[in-house]
This record gives sequence, C-alpha cells and structure tokens, in this order.
Amino acid sequence: MEVRSNPAAGNSFDHRRPPAVSSKQQLPSPHSVDTSAVSQRLQKELMALMMSGGDLGVSAFPDGESIFTWIGTVEGGKGTLYEGLSYKLSLRFPLDYPFKPPQVKFETMCFHPNVDQFGNICLDILQDKWSSAYDCRTILLSIQSLLEEPNLESPLNSYAAALWNDKEDYRRMVHKQYFSGEALES
Amino acid sequence: MEELNSCFFNPAILDSLSEDSLHEIIGSYNGFCDATQSLLTGSGDLSVGPDFVSHVHTLCKHRLHSLVQDHFLRVLEETFERNGASRFWRHFDPYSHVAGLNKNDDLDIDEDEIQSVLYNALEEVTLEKQYQEKCLLMLVHGLQSFQDQMLEDKHDFEGERSYLTSKYQWIVSSVLMATLPRHFPVILHWYFKRKLEELSTIMDEEFCDGASQNKDGMDLDEKGKVCNKVGEMDVDECYNDHRFSENSRLVKNIGKVVLDLRNLGFTSMAEDAYASAIFLLLKAKVNDVAGDDYRSSVLQSIKSWIQAVPLQFLHALLVYLGDVVSYESTSSGLKSPLAPQPSSCCPGINTPSEGLVRWKLRLEYFAYETLQDLRIAKLFEIIVDYPESSPAIEDLKLCLEYTGQHSKLVESFISALRYRLLTAGASTNDILHQYVSTIKALRTIDPAGVFLEAVGEPIRDYLRGRRDTIKCIVTMLTDGTGGNSSSSANTGDSLLEELNRDEEIQENAGVDDDFNSDDRQAWINAMRRWQPDPVEADPLKGSRNQRKVDILGMIVGIIGSKDQLVHEYRTMLAEKLLNKSDYDIDSEIRTLELLKIHFGESSLQKCEIMLNDLIGSKRTNSNIKATINQLPQTSVEVGDSAISMDVISATIISSNFWPPIQDEPLNLPEPVDNLLSDYAKRFSEIKTPRKLQWKKSLGTIKLEVQFQDREMQFTVAPVHASIIMKFQEQPSWTAKNLAAAIGIPADSLNRRINFWISKGIITESQGEDSSDHVYTIVENMAETSKNGASAGTQDLLGGDEEEDRSVASVENQLLKEMTVYEKFIMGMLTNFGSMALDRIHNTLKMFCIADPPYDKSLQQLQSFLSGLVSEEKLELRDGMYFLKK
Repeated sequence: MEVRSNPAAGNSFDHRRPPAVSSKQQLPSPHSVDTSAVSQRLQKELMALMMSGGDLGVSAFPDGESIFTWIGTVEGGKGTLYEGLSYKLSLRFPLDYPFKPPQVKFETMCFHPNVDQFGNICLDILQDKWSSAYDCRTILLSIQSLLEEPNLESPLNSYAAALWNDKEDYRRMVHKQYFSGEALES
Repeated sequence: MEELNSCFFNPAILDSLSEDSLHEIIGSYNGFCDATQSLLTGSGDLSVGPDFVSHVHTLCKHRLHSLVQDHFLRVLEETFERNGASRFWRHFDPYSHVAGLNKNDDLDIDEDEIQSVLYNALEEVTLEKQYQEKCLLMLVHGLQSFQDQMLEDKHDFEGERSYLTSKYQWIVSSVLMATLPRHFPVILHWYFKRKLEELSTIMDEEFCDGASQNKDGMDLDEKGKVCNKVGEMDVDECYNDHRFSENSRLVKNIGKVVLDLRNLGFTSMAEDAYASAIFLLLKAKVNDVAGDDYRSSVLQSIKSWIQAVPLQFLHALLVYLGDVVSYESTSSGLKSPLAPQPSSCCPGINTPSEGLVRWKLRLEYFAYETLQDLRIAKLFEIIVDYPESSPAIEDLKLCLEYTGQHSKLVESFISALRYRLLTAGASTNDILHQYVSTIKALRTIDPAGVFLEAVGEPIRDYLRGRRDTIKCIVTMLTDGTGGNSSSSANTGDSLLEELNRDEEIQENAGVDDDFNSDDRQAWINAMRRWQPDPVEADPLKGSRNQRKVDILGMIVGIIGSKDQLVHEYRTMLAEKLLNKSDYDIDSEIRTLELLKIHFGESSLQKCEIMLNDLIGSKRTNSNIKATINQLPQTSVEVGDSAISMDVISATIISSNFWPPIQDEPLNLPEPVDNLLSDYAKRFSEIKTPRKLQWKKSLGTIKLEVQFQDREMQFTVAPVHASIIMKFQEQPSWTAKNLAAAIGIPADSLNRRINFWISKGIITESQGEDSSDHVYTIVENMAETSKNGASAGTQDLLGGDEEEDRSVASVENQLLKEMTVYEKFIMGMLTNFGSMALDRIHNTLKMFCIADPPYDKSLQQLQSFLSGLVSEEKLELRDGMYFLKK
C-alpha cells in the first residue's frame, strides 16, 4: 500500500520541493515515486485536518481506498443564510498535487451564485489563483466563506445572483434546493 | 416305583387303597401332625421323637414323603414366623424412631443397651433356629432310617439333608426379610460404626507407638516397620499384649455378630453395614489427618493407617469368618492381578487373600478420592501459600493420577477464583502473584499445562480488564534485585528469577525468538491432546510435551503483545534512571540483558540506548570535571555563593529514544543556574557541535538545611530545593511572590510546598489578602515541637506524587493516541454519515499514520467506540456508528 510509508521521507520532501517549483513548470510526470510523495503530503494534510478541522465546521476524509478522492463536508457558518445546513463535496486530487489544484464539486444541491446546477464551483483559488501553499483545509474554509460572500461579478447561477439582495426569498430558495436534494438522495 | 406325586392325582390308586391302609394313613398323618406340633412348639421337649419317627415311617411306607416334608416345613415356617422372627424384631421396637435418621447422625439412645439388645436378640433367634434345625434333623433321620429299612434303593442321604437345610435357610431369611423393619439396618450400621471407632482408637494407639519408636528413622522405614509390627501381631499367637487381646476380643465380638447375621441370611446387609462404617471412619480419618495443614504430605500416613487399621480389622474378621482359608493354600503365586505394587504389601500378611486385596484397593481409592476432594476444595488456600504448601500439591497430584478427576479440579478452582480473587477488592499485584503461584503449582500437577490453560483463562481475561496490569507485571519483572519500590513484593514472587531460570533453558534450547506464536502453538497442541478423561500420566509421554510451562510467556500472554510490555518497561526504566544520583546501573543492565534474551534485541533497542546514555554520561561527566581540575581558577567566580562543580553530575540523554519527558519551566537559584550553564559550556567545548539542554525540573538534589538549632538532610526534587532555597533570602514569602520567583504556577507551588510543611520546616498562614497564603520558615525547632514534627536526618524522595513523575506515564501516552483516533473517527463519520465497525477499523489502518501508527485490534477499537458511545459522542444503531447530533 503506497500510502503508508516512512513519514521521515515526508519531512525531507517539504524542504526539497521549493527549488523544483522555482525551476518552474517542469511538470512532474506521474511516476510512482511522485505518487507516494503526493500521498504523503495528502496524508499529512489529513492529519492536520483531523486534529484541527472539526471545530471550524469543515471536514474531509478519503473516500474508499484511494487517498486521491476525498469526501468533504462544509457547514454553513453561524449567522449566515446557510446556517444549520451541511453540504457534501467531492475532492479529486491530481497526481501532480499540490502543483495543480484539486477538482472540487458540490455533491449536495447548492443554491448559490457561484455554484452551477451540477455542483461546479467558481472559485479563484481553485483555478488560476491556486498555490501549492494551499491545502485541503484552506480550500474547505474558502468554500465555507464563499457561501456567505459570493462573487456576484461572475455568477454561474445568475438567478441566485439576482436574488441575493432579497434575503428572505434567497433563504427560501437555499432551503428548497437543499431539502429537495436531500429528498432525492434518500 | 411310581412317582410319589401321582398318588394324589390318580383316583385309581386311591381306589386301590384298602380300607385298612386308609385308616392307617389317616391315623399316622394325624399322629404326625400332632407330633410335629408338639415338637416344634414344645420348649425343647424331644420326648415325642420316637413317636414322630414311627409316624414318618408309616407315611413313607405309603409313599407320602413329600407330604411329610411339605407339612413339616410349613409348620416350621409358621413357628419361626411366630416365635423367632416376631420376637426378634420386638427387641428392636423401642428403636423404631431411628429409621428416619441419617446414617451420620448420632443415635439418641444408650449405647450399651442397644448393644446388649442386639446381642440378646441375635442369641435368642439363633437358639430358636438351632432348635428348629435339630427338629429338622430329626425328620431327616426319620426319613433316613426308613430308607435304610427299604435297603434296595440307596437314597442320597446327604443330598436330602442339604436340600432340606437349604430350604430351611431360605425360609428363615425370607421370613426375616419380609418382616424387616426399617430401622434395623440403621441399628446395624450404628453398631459397626461404634465398634470400629473403638477398634481404631486401640489400633491408633499402637500405630502411634509404632510410629514414635521409629521417629528418627526415615519415612519409608517407619511405614515398613509399622506394617511389620502389625503383621507380627497377627501371626504370632503368643503375642501377649493386653491391648492385642482387647482388640482381638473386639474383633471376635464383631465377628460373632457378623456370623449370626450371616446365619440369618443378612450377609449382604451386614457387609454393607460394616463397609459403610469403614468408609465413614476412613473419611473422618482423612479429614482429621489432612485438615488445614498443607505443609506436610499426608498421603503416606493415610495409606499406612489403612494398612494398620481397617485392613487389619478386615483381615481379622475374614479369618474369623473362615473366608481366608489359610496362608499356605493361597500363597503360591496366586496373587491377584489387581494387587498393587508389592512394596505396599505387609510382610506379615505375606499374601493377602483376593478379598483383602480388593478391599485394599477399594479403601485406597476411596482415600484418594476423599483427600482429592478435600484438597480441591481448599486449592485456593493451598496455592495462596504455595511454596510452603507444595507437599499438599504433591499429594493432590498423586490422588489425581489415581482417580483421573482433573476436570473436577478445574471447575472447582475456577469458581473459587471467580468468587475470591477476581473481584474489585483484590489488588492487581495480589492477583498476579496468585496467578504465578497457580502456574507454578499446577505445573507440578500437570506438566503439559492442559489444565493450567483452562484455569488460567479467567484470570487472564480479568487481568486484561485492569488498567494497572502491565505496570504491575513490569514491576514484578524488574524488581527482583532488592528494589525497594513495590510494597508487598517479597523476592520469592519476583519474576526475575523466572527470567534467570529461563536463561538457562534458553542456553540449552537456543534463542526462542518468536515465542508468542510458539506458545500459542503449544497451547493448541495441548488442547488437541485434551481428552475427556486423561487417565494416568499420558501427557508425560512424548518429547514434545516435555516442554516446561513458560511462566513468562503466560504472563506476557495476559498483555497480548510484548510491545506493550516493552513500552511500559521503557517508561519505568526512564523514571528509574532519571532519579538516579549515581551512575550505578548494573542491576538495570542485567535485567535488560535478561529481557533481551526473552523479547529479542530489536524491541529493546531503545532501552539499551537509554542505558548507554547513562554510561556515556558518566564518562562525559568525569571528562568535564577533569577540565576544571586542570584550570581550577576559571571554575566559578569567587564568592560566598559559589559552588564547586564537583557536586553536580549530569545525565545526558538522547531524547529521541527516551519516552516523552515532562518538563516544566523552573527558575533555579542563581548559583545553581550559573553552574549549570558553565557545565553546558564545557560540554559544548568537549562535544562540539552538540549542546546541552537542561531539563531543570528533573533529577534529584541532596540538600542539607541548617537551622539555628539543628541540621537536616534531604534528597528532593529540584522544585522542592528551589522552594526552600528561596527562604534563604527572606524568611517569609507570600504564595504569589514565591511562585513568580520560582517560575511555576501557584497551584503547583501549593502542592509542592506541602512537602516542606509536612516536615515542619515551613508553616502556612493566612495572608492579608484573603486569597493569598504566607509561608514562613521555622528557624527554631522548639516552636514546632508541639506539632511533633519529625527531626533528624531525613532521606525521602519528595517527588513521589503521581503528577510529579518525570516521564509521561503509559496511560497518558495511550490517552494521547486515543485522542488522535477519536478525531479521525469523528472526521470520517462527519463525511460518511455512518460506518460499520470493520470499515472504521480498516479506514483507520489505512489513513491514520500518526506516531505510533494505528495498531489496535478490532476488539480494542470496539471497546473504544463503545466508550465514545457512552460519552454520548457517538450513536450505535444496527451495527452502524453515527455522530450524535
């Protein structure tokens, strides 16, 4: 099982990598060696997330046997329109993570200006603003704050963007979508 | 000649009879009846004899033999029923109330009276019987004399007579049996019991005399001589001891009763009665001898007692009854195949009859069984004082070999364990000691360890549930060398000797690296060999089974894995080493070497490094001190607070290999601090590029406190020393200021300063600020003498409280691990909603690679999860775990 290997090697990884980044866009090919380095990094992220994440209302865990696919959970922040709702996400980490961002999608129906009907998210740090300094925890926290502070400039769901100013109707739509999705699931 | 019976059934014959002969028949028949009547009812009057005989002759002439016999026997039966039986039973009527009593109860009647009643009744009924037999003989004679007259036909007189007497016997016993009252067997039983007791007291005296004569001889000798003596008595008719005559009189009495009873047809009843009396006596004897003393072997003395008392009695009885024909007739090579080893035979009774041998076997078996039951019932106590009680264990072993009732032992002992040992009140140490004793004791009884396995199971299960089990085991393992820490551990219980013993075995057998699986294999083998009735020592055969039961293996088996044990050992070792003020680690090295043999080098590597650290420290320490001696002027700045570096010795540890060390910040007194940094500087000079980091709260300090009127010495932890040194500057401190000066939290200070308060050196009083305390040093002993504070030299380690340990305890480390697992479980349940036990297990195995990685078993996880459920963090529904909302 490649995900379990000596954590000491992981330490050296962190120090060794930055020069590789500076030499820029020398795309690491998905060799097995790198895979194990990636999974070590993911392992560490998981550890960190587990030890700190629970209180913040975000969480994620590898789904099944592979450490490259995770299931995430984001709870709506206190005092926001999404309070009391808990959204499931899927995270797919590429083999050259953390140089490429993971693909993140909402699995629960989410009524939000920056989320389309398929759950795709429009979030800058998941696209062009990605940095290898980000990790799973920061992604989840960003998504949590995105729920309350949508970017109305480039909406995927223009209806939601339009409704944003009408808090009552907006909240009703959020709940309607959330619970219809839940009914679908079950 | 025609058949006699046909006379009655053939009317033609009747017709053929003449008038005369008819008259003759009727006349003589009436005469015969009258004569019979008067003969039998008449009290011993035999004058009608000739008359009777002539009537018999007349009737026989008419071929009426059978009529004569039948009538006579019937009248005999009636008479016996009327005169003999009913009168016999009437003797016992006053005792009819005893029928319901238990055999063991004492009869509430006069002993002599019932004895004489029994004698009288037997006498009377025997007389009656003898008289009737005489009458019967008269009939036989009549019949015979008739036959003699007829001559032609040689009648079998002997056959006739034995036929009639046996018929008569039959009548007697059936009449008696038919009218047997229920209390009679009880009376008989009681009688024999009393007599035997009497007899055994006499015999016992002799037995004891015999034994005391040979007191200084060896056991075996003694027994032989006793038997010899008893034998002599038996053979030697001239033996003229009054005691002997007394007991032979007694035996005769009993023999007479038995004989009388036999004559009446009570053979089996009599035998039952004296057999049960003998068994009762034997049981009482065994109980008496075995008692509650486990320090001596009793089996041998019981055996010789059997030989001396009951067998002697039986032998005498059998001789009296004529069952043993003679010594010569049975002697030549006709020994019973059941005869036990010849050594146990009495030389006097050179060849016991088969009956006697059978009795002996029966009695011995019974004795074995009784003793075994007795010992099994007390096995728990026996094992409690095991090394002393080993004779009792040996006895039990012999008994079990004989009876084969091992399963009884297992059941009874397990229930005793459950009831008496495996309770919340018993300390883990006691349970472990008992377990070790059990292993040792049962190892004697059962070298293959089959029963031990069954008995040990409940103990192991129970110990696994105790939290301090590992700690106790490690203490037992390492504390054999006169350690002072454990409270009740006497050196005999230490497992260290087991380690030693094991070493010897290992030397022969080669290193047994993976003992765990090996042991399991051995147990499995043992279980396979289990038979419902493992008679005799089958497990002794076969070299594979010669394997000694491995105490250490079984102890480690409690914990489950040696890693846990090693871990605990490392923690304890660290604690011990850190508290050492010299570098003397010889005993630790030895223990470690022994442990290495057993658990393998690799698992104890860290411990070895710890010990090497100590050795290295010693060297470094002396090197550093050498540098001072070369340049004495640069050592410490001159001043009254200067301390020579000679007083300090450092333990330099490689912290990666030590268990987590609890360090708390502490401000040491200035001079000490300077000294330490100077030491560190010198260290880095010698050992560049390494640097020394002080763990200032660890270690021990020898302290001498001088007061106005006295001096005291202490060995304390640095914190305590820092506290007391602050009082050098000013005699009184408030708690807050003192805590700030030393650099520890106020509550920790309050806890620590209690040490000095308890010594009567510091007093506590309420300060101006209500939340603050003021501590004042007591300069004058006289002031505190009323408190009875202890004075003089004290040598107490101050930091013996639980929270003052220098190394994080294993429990705390475990708790930390478990916290990590809990977070992971919470995390995965947050994302997956619900999970089954094995999925959680697998997921943890896959993704939880904390240090140390997840290594728990499914069962451990389950119990952990159920802990979380009871804390209401999780929910369990249909085998799935959920987060509690």
